[in-house]
Amino acid sequence: MTQLDTQDPILAEITGPTPGQMLRKRVFGHQGLMIGLVVLVILTLVAIFAPLLAPHDPYAQSLMTRMEPPVFLGGDWEHPLGTDHLGRDYLSRLIYGARVSLMIGVIAALISGVIGTAMGVAAGYFGGRVDMVVTFLINVRLAMPVVLVALAVVAILGGSLQVVIVVLGLLLWDRFAVVMRASTLQVRGREYVAAARAIGASTPRVILSEIMPNIANNLIVVVTLEMAHAILLEAALSFLGLGVQPPTPSWGLMVSEGKNMMLFEPWMVLIPGAVLFVLVLAINLMGDGLRDVTAPENRS
Amino acid sequence: MKQSSLRHAIAGLAIVAASGAAYADKANDTLRVAFTKELENVDSYFNSSREGVVLQRAVWDGLIYRDPATNEYKGNLATSWEWIDDLTLEFKLREGVTFHNGEPFNADDVVYTVDFVAKEESGVKTQRNVNWMKSAEKIDEYTVRIHLKDKFPAAIEFLSGPVSMYPNEYYAEAGPSGMGLEPVGTGPYKVVSVTPGQHFVLEKNENYHDSPKGQPEIANVDIRTIPDVNTQMAALFSGSLDLIWQVPADQAEKLAEMDQFTVSNESTMRVGYLSMDAAGRSGDTPFTDVRVRQAVNHAINRQELVDALLKGESKVVWTPCFPSQFGCEQDAAAQYEYDPEKAKALLAEAGYPDGFKTEFYAYRNREYAEAILSYLNAVGIESDFKFLQYSALRELNMTGDVPLAFLTWGSFSINDASAMVSQFFKHGSLDDARDDQVLADLEVADSATDPEVRKEHYAKAIERITEQAYWAPMFSYNTNYVSTNEVEYTPTADEVLRFTTMEWK
Repeated sequence: MTQLDTQDPILAEITGPTPGQMLRKRVFGHQGLMIGLVVLVILTLVAIFAPLLAPHDPYAQSLMTRMEPPVFLGGDWEHPLGTDHLGRDYLSRLIYGARVSLMIGVIAALISGVIGTAMGVAAGYFGGRVDMVVTFLINVRLAMPVVLVALAVVAILGGSLQVVIVVLGLLLWDRFAVVMRASTLQVRGREYVAAARAIGASTPRVILSEIMPNIANNLIVVVTLEMAHAILLEAALSFLGLGVQPPTPSWGLMVSEGKNMMLFEPWMVLIPGAVLFVLVLAINLMGDGLRDVTAPENRS
Repeated sequence: MKQSSLRHAIAGLAIVAASGAAYADKANDTLRVAFTKELENVDSYFNSSREGVVLQRAVWDGLIYRDPATNEYKGNLATSWEWIDDLTLEFKLREGVTFHNGEPFNADDVVYTVDFVAKEESGVKTQRNVNWMKSAEKIDEYTVRIHLKDKFPAAIEFLSGPVSMYPNEYYAEAGPSGMGLEPVGTGPYKVVSVTPGQHFVLEKNENYHDSPKGQPEIANVDIRTIPDVNTQMAALFSGSLDLIWQVPADQAEKLAEMDQFTVSNESTMRVGYLSMDAAGRSGDTPFTDVRVRQAVNHAINRQELVDALLKGESKVVWTPCFPSQFGCEQDAAAQYEYDPEKAKALLAEAGYPDGFKTEFYAYRNREYAEAILSYLNAVGIESDFKFLQYSALRELNMTGDVPLAFLTWGSFSINDASAMVSQFFKHGSLDDARDDQVLADLEVADSATDPEVRKEHYAKAIERITEQAYWAPMFSYNTNYVSTNEVEYTPTADEVLRFTTMEWK
């Protein structure tokens, strides 16, 4: 790359904005991306600082004050979002639940990202037999319904945070593999890859410093999508009683616990449901935005 | 004109729709009820669910009837009975009774039914209900003797409960599966149609004999299986059900606030308890130490559980049996008041000053289990919570792999302590205590014919079990019955829905 002195006003006038400036402009100009990013950052901070923010111990049970309504339905400020079926503070459980959801989303997406990217890049770069094997594995994986497999494994091993993370991590790599394989195929034939090979760069070096940086934008988009996917799956598994086990607070579990009182106390389902919706929406908005911002057709 | 005719058409449609929705109710003399669980077979010897008991009491009769209000035994298909010796019971049968298919009831039916169910090869689902009988013998057309395998003082109670009489000719031909599809009995209600597991239609038996059950009032009963409580309540709101039962306490409380429904609550014989692996069958567990087991007993606030979660007619229970059961001597039981500090001290004394971690199993009432869990956490017992299906947990229990579990037992509504305490403490596969002293006392109590001797030995067994804290008995259950205001029904304490005693207001 050519080094340009961006501080020089004359030069800047001649060459126009640098790629970095253009990127920044696109990022900050993209409404969806900004909304998603802000919400996600707030929720992440809430999750990290949960012990400081939560007004009560999320595990402290008080059977004599069960199912108190939230403030906006006539409750008091002692429990701003009311209490659950065992008298535990709803707001505190929501705050701690953010930790569970985000942790599962991030770690499951990381595990499946590593597996899927390794497989996809290897298939795309080497082609031939390697490609055939990987394509076969992807097909096998796509033929299995994720929820059903997760249900079966969790039913056998018993539900816990670790089991759910590992199971989801090992199941959600298919999209990574498909997208990475296709992107690698596109990039593999480019001149700079051929040039790197011609000057004698080793295969790992070609993959890591020539191919990976050029397909990273696709990777980021898939990571966000799979994070949202993992968070929703965790909620679904916990709702079915096969995910995170009580007393650990999880949003899916909270929806499931509130379900029995849905006809009379709908807020017990609506509050965790709404938070889950906001988190998943934020992640998807961010993923969408990142794709728009980094997609080649936007680079005028 | 055009517009008004359109309006009439719409009004007409609305009327048709409305009358269609209300196709059955008080006006049609049809009571619509929901079952929560799918009933596997209507034949009462081949199911083990509460729903099965409900149909059994409606369709069939036993030789004896126990009045649920007074606990007094009355003759039903038998008019009198006497013990010939410790192993023989003689019955005089009621004359002039006919089955729903017209077959007359006589000694042959009793002999056939008893001989069939007592045989282990017949595969009756709950063997304990029938395996105390050896055979039956016909003396004359209306006199019959039942021979017992061993001394069994609770025989009368069992004959008034799960043992009902089947028509010999029909049953020989149809068998359990035929009986399940087209049930035939002598009971107050005839079965009109059965869609297995889903839909049961009953009709009043106009020729019902002069039974202590009373004569049925409501002409038709229409039962549907609706597994989800919320759906049942929605159906009740929309007027397509008249009665639901086993409604959880929180929902029942809300329904009681609404004017159009009547909620009644009655105790059941089900007792909830914690079982601990005192014999160390699941490996090296802290529960082999009596101080740890006593600590668990002290850690639980039973009164708070009853007041806040179970509500209704539920009571704190200290005995490993239901208080109304014969031989369930309340004074014999050691009581452990709620005292978390004492629990911590006991744990420290046992060598666990910082508590310990254990697996904790449960199969029903997840919220009760969570509340119990939270009490245990408070004194330092951390747990790995596992919520399983009943059959899966029972299997684990039998192989002795469960250190700590929240379990319940309903005793099949049999009002005798042998149905609970002897079920679990006689070194069977479900026994995690394996106490020889308890076994010896129960052997005597189960087979003695003198009621006083039985009471004395049950008391001794209960004293030993509670002092050693093999279990932490906690509470009895209750059931909520919710009906529209048109239905008049007083529930009984044995969790059996009796259509015969229901009427329209």
